[in-house]
Amino acid sequence: MALAVVSRTRVAPATERRWLLGTARFMVLVGVCLVMSVLTRSEEHGFVFLNMNNLLNVVRNASILIIIGVGETITLTARDVDLSVGSVLSLTSVVAAIMLNRYGIPFPLAILAALLIGAVLGLINGLLITYVGLPPFIATYGTLWVLFGFAYLILQGAVIYGFPAGFRVIGNGHLLGIPMPIVVMTVVFLTGYLLLHHTTLGRRFFATGANIETARMSGIKVERVIIAAYAISGFLAAVAGLVLIAYTNGSEARIGDSYLLPVMAVVVMGGTSLAGGQGNLVGTLVAALIMAVIHNGMNILAVPAIWQSLVVGLLIIGTVLADQGLRKRA
Amino acid sequence: MTPRACSFLMRVPSAAWAILLMMSAFTAINPRYLTLDNMVNIVLQNAVLLILALGATLVILSEGIDLSSGSVLTLSGVTCVYVMKRLMDAGASDGLAVVVGVTVGLLTGTMMGVVTGGLIAIGQMPPFIASLGMMGVGATLALVLAESTAIYINNPIFSFFGERLDKSIEFPLMQYVSMPTVIAILVFSAVWILLHHAPFGRYLVAIGGNETGARLSGVNTVFWKWMVYVVAGILAAVSGVTLAARLEAADSIVGVGWEFDAIAATILGGTSFARGKGGIGGTVLGVLVIGVTRNGLNVIGVPSLWQPAITGTIIILAIVCEVILARWKERRRWLWQS
Repeated sequence: MALAVVSRTRVAPATERRWLLGTARFMVLVGVCLVMSVLTRSEEHGFVFLNMNNLLNVVRNASILIIIGVGETITLTARDVDLSVGSVLSLTSVVAAIMLNRYGIPFPLAILAALLIGAVLGLINGLLITYVGLPPFIATYGTLWVLFGFAYLILQGAVIYGFPAGFRVIGNGHLLGIPMPIVVMTVVFLTGYLLLHHTTLGRRFFATGANIETARMSGIKVERVIIAAYAISGFLAAVAGLVLIAYTNGSEARIGDSYLLPVMAVVVMGGTSLAGGQGNLVGTLVAALIMAVIHNGMNILAVPAIWQSLVVGLLIIGTVLADQGLRKRA
Repeated sequence: MTPRACSFLMRVPSAAWAILLMMSAFTAINPRYLTLDNMVNIVLQNAVLLILALGATLVILSEGIDLSSGSVLTLSGVTCVYVMKRLMDAGASDGLAVVVGVTVGLLTGTMMGVVTGGLIAIGQMPPFIASLGMMGVGATLALVLAESTAIYINNPIFSFFGERLDKSIEFPLMQYVSMPTVIAILVFSAVWILLHHAPFGRYLVAIGGNETGARLSGVNTVFWKWMVYVVAGILAAVSGVTLAARLEAADSIVGVGWEFDAIAATILGGTSFARGKGGIGGTVLGVLVIGVTRNGLNVIGVPSLWQPAITGTIIILAIVCEVILARWKERRRWLWQS
């Protein structure tokens, strides 16, 4: 009797459990794709969803989300959330836009400046969290509003558009037939994966996130590790901002606002624990693709834009609940 | 300085110093700042924020966070005015429309609180992610209901709840009293009683101090944690309805960012996340810090384009000072005692 109870409540080994959850996520992606293919099929247009152009479109739309998501996954691995990513994206893209459009600064310089500003903003987040000791969601939520204020101030509430062709290549161009956003996303993802799983800094991210006191006692300078994580997140938000404005050829102060909810949803759906120390980059990638497929499907089905954010809100709540249920059962 | 004088200075909350400092700076720049009329104006402008911030304080005392309060504020204002407008179009009397509309508005906020609290207490979701999700849900519902614009309402009884009293009551000094202020004082008293003279407050502080300890000593932590968010939802609804009455309209995005002001006011007032410390008295000061900043920037003529950036920076700097000062005070106190 006792033995039966024990064997029934057996705790699955971590690897087995992770494999199971990873497979489940992948199956969801396949399932969502199938459902969308069937739902969007029409007599005169055939498979609207399931053709090469649209699929590339889906991945390109997911690219921005994945680039930010990699940064968010890293901060969640090392410490906690970064709610300011959307605003960092807005501010850096606004700065780049104004440099390119109004002051005619050469685009490599503008790109460099935007990336630097993104990293510095992340650095400030990290300083607020480590040395000032603010809870991460307070610090980053505060910077969210401050940065929006500055983006609004710089643009004077206007919309700016029209960038030099050289700059637009990173959003609009193709490399070997693959759209540039996808290329950038792949580079970011692979670098992020190598950083997280094959470098000392990556191990330190995991160690600090799992137990900050133990990490400190084993000689890791945890403050620096956390600051590095937030700086990377800011940097990647800037990358995403540049790709986004190069693609859309315009920028405004609220351009990044709509990314906060989806990024949080994607990272959590991807299996990165909010408790720290459990980053899962592959999960983030798959979850972002699921999100992009759902968005694309809703667009093809002509679901009004405001209902889409309701779907995202429900999705984030649903996945966290399901995630916790699965973790407890497994 | 002698320890006695020093300890007196330290007992004055740092938010009070911030208010004094800023008020003297603003007065130096524009002497017209320091008039009774303007002071009354500051109180009127910030009564709504105070009601919202009281909810945020309760949630933070229980070691949670509610990012959805801004969108709950919007949604309850919108539902209230929507129902009122529909009823008046159908020919209902002003009074009936107000009663039904306000009830529906308050119920909406309560329901949002029930769902958010349920997700956090029963579903055991991390508070900020649950409330972030509910923020999206609430904002969307408000946009859909108001069709992405503002609903205007013309109802004298409803407007009364947002005005200065001299518009409706003939009595001396009534131009210095406004309905939102009265509502804020009533709500403050109710929350004070709830926090200091009811089981709710005791359990809330116990949960904030040490949740496991509270559970092990027999407190129904799930239920009381749930109730914290329900009360916060009701307070957000009260502020939403009051704001709608003051503006005589419900805008579909009016509450965007209010949750940050509410949380910032709480922290500026000295409520800290660790160990369930702080209280609602400090929150009043915190709200005043934000209110004095906003109003002062207006009075000294800072262009509205600059205001979000400047206000945000001042608030963040004030929070940083407050947190560092609190830590320093703690260390000094410990040194004296030993």
